[in-house]
Amino acid sequence: MSLKVKFAIQVNASPYQYQASDSAWHFVMSALSSGHEVYRVFFYNDGIYNAFRDARPPGDERHIVERWATLNAVHDIDLVVCVSSAQRRGLLDASVAEKVSGYQHALADGFRIAGLGLWMEGVIESDRHIVFGA
Amino acid sequence: MSKHLVFIIDKPLHGNVKAQEFLDSILMAAAFDQRVDVVLVGDGVFAMLDNQQPEKLDMKNILPVFGTLSLYGINGVTVEEEALRERGLVISQLHEISNVMPREKVKQTMLTAHHIFSF
Repeated sequence: MSLKVKFAIQVNASPYQYQASDSAWHFVMSALSSGHEVYRVFFYNDGIYNAFRDARPPGDERHIVERWATLNAVHDIDLVVCVSSAQRRGLLDASVAEKVSGYQHALADGFRIAGLGLWMEGVIESDRHIVFGA
Repeated sequence: MSKHLVFIIDKPLHGNVKAQEFLDSILMAAAFDQRVDVVLVGDGVFAMLDNQQPEKLDMKNILPVFGTLSLYGINGVTVEEEALRERGLVISQLHEISNVMPREKVKQTMLTAHHIFSF
């Protein structure tokens, strides 16, 4: 009998510059295909750059932002972007952007912006937490 | 069920925002009523050096927040004895340290934790 493990994943690095978000994505895909559960992916620090809607990589390259969005659409994985990390770096939730006259469409589909509490709740609910990107 | 969470600091605090965001995680863990330990190892001992002036880097001094950890039910900050000694530091040079622990005991603490965090 194989053991089913519940994971909470944290991504701390921006896409393309580091391998962290690729590794995290590959890990999540492998975990799911092995029958494990991914409770939540939490984007913290520079990891919030994974959630910018307007990322436009060249057509023959992997589209990291879309890849996450697909993970949410197909596997219903909760993709949470830390609100304070995001605001510090100029990624605003539509409702906040409206209040401060910021750009309202920055967040890519499939992601939601919320507090650090969701990370800690994810950790507590999971058997293991894994952090990608120092 | 309450879990045992250990937060390892192995680098100085100021110069970027990482430590500040890590500290937020520590406080959040405490808010969830978990058993939380904060341990300084390696160059992390420099994190708590007194008389730091991060204002000169135009950065917020986050050291005072460590002094408030007990208000959040966190049992203070522990420093690894060997790390201090290897860097020629003594405990009186550090800010708000509650416990000194030999490396072997730090290892045991990590072995029995449910989750370990670093940044």
